[in-house]
Amino acid sequence: MRAAVECSGLTKAFGSTVAIDNLSFKLPANKITGLIGRNGAGKTTLLKLIAGYLAPTGGSVKVFSENPFNNVRVSANLIFVDDKMTMPQSLNLGEILEAVGGFYENWDHRLARGLLEYFNLNPRQHHYNLSKGMKSTFNMIVGIAARCPLTIFDEPTVGMDAAVRKDFYRALLKDFLQHPRTVFFSSHLLNEISEILDDILLLDQGRCRLYMTKDAVKEFAVGLQGKEEAVAAIAGGSEIFYRKKLGPENLYLVVPNRFSEEELLAARRKGVEVSAVPAEDLCVYLTAKHKGGIDDVFDRN
Amino acid sequence: MLNGDSLTPIYVQVAEWLETEILNGNLRSNERVYSQYQLADMFNINPATAAKGLNILADQGLVYKKRGLGMFVSPRAGERIRRKRINRNLKRLAQELAMEAERLGVSREELLDLIAEAWIQARKEELE
Repeated sequence: MRAAVECSGLTKAFGSTVAIDNLSFKLPANKITGLIGRNGAGKTTLLKLIAGYLAPTGGSVKVFSENPFNNVRVSANLIFVDDKMTMPQSLNLGEILEAVGGFYENWDHRLARGLLEYFNLNPRQHHYNLSKGMKSTFNMIVGIAARCPLTIFDEPTVGMDAAVRKDFYRALLKDFLQHPRTVFFSSHLLNEISEILDDILLLDQGRCRLYMTKDAVKEFAVGLQGKEEAVAAIAGGSEIFYRKKLGPENLYLVVPNRFSEEELLAARRKGVEVSAVPAEDLCVYLTAKHKGGIDDVFDRN
Repeated sequence: MLNGDSLTPIYVQVAEWLETEILNGNLRSNERVYSQYQLADMFNINPATAAKGLNILADQGLVYKKRGLGMFVSPRAGERIRRKRINRNLKRLAQELAMEAERLGVSREELLDLIAEAWIQARKEELE
């Protein structure tokens, strides 16, 4: 499959802090990929390297086979949407759409105006007067209507209320179905966006912890809950992603999903509840330094 | 609708929804099935996930592909789905029911009464 983005040994250090650490991966074209990771995992740095806003300190990044840094051909084919997008102060929202539309080849002005109206944004308003959530909404509209072959969203939903977020995900999916493109999307709200994703890339301290299809992530682990001995017996010697004591006798474990349907049924017979582990929770467990989460801090005392 | 929190993957839920459409007669033999893009739009899911659901049906021969035209319901797909569901879903549900009854100390007779009651209720709703 054709890669839209290709990183090989990509490294970015700020002084002695290594934000992106020898990262290699290929982002397939015309898929929606979610970039997930804790605060400080390196998500924004990675997206800025891909957008050509930052130059790597090691390795390479290629966007449509070209180096994105200082490259106008790459800039014309990608849009980077975040809450810090700078918009000209002298133009109102309607004028900004006109101006932006002139830059992007596939820009759909009718869609942009339609979304502006739907989200109750007055075209005569100024960007600097918008609330945080409305700013995000406007930037998101620009990001969708630009229809760039590579569309990057960095935490695009900051400040948006739940209804707007839902509409945004649906608008993005609907436009993607009509006009497939490569979408790279960082978010802390994985549960909200997971259904529209093809793949998930989980970043942990500048390294790739997991990169697979969303469906595979959802089947990656199971939760086992019940009497401590019964749960431990079923888990056997398998790796434990997360453990939580529930009262004096009960235990909740998250382990790799290597069980057959018969084994899971047998577990249920022994009173062990088997549950799915939401992708968002799994990503938290996989990148946690403490197996018991925040409880570890309190249990120490 | 689909349930994102379920242990059943979304693409399996899509396949099951399509099966139910066939079973209900909403999709008849040799009729065109929804495309992956229609399903993606309907359920607000990624088109690759929708395609995976369609492929489950194709692998079981419940739908067939016409090049360039899409997927169509195989003849007698409804009957095959019915038999498959009895063998898999109904048996599994019965097992769960028996297990929960065991945990709650419900006797065999009580459980059978409950099932008979539910059976009558379901029939009534169907007649209405």
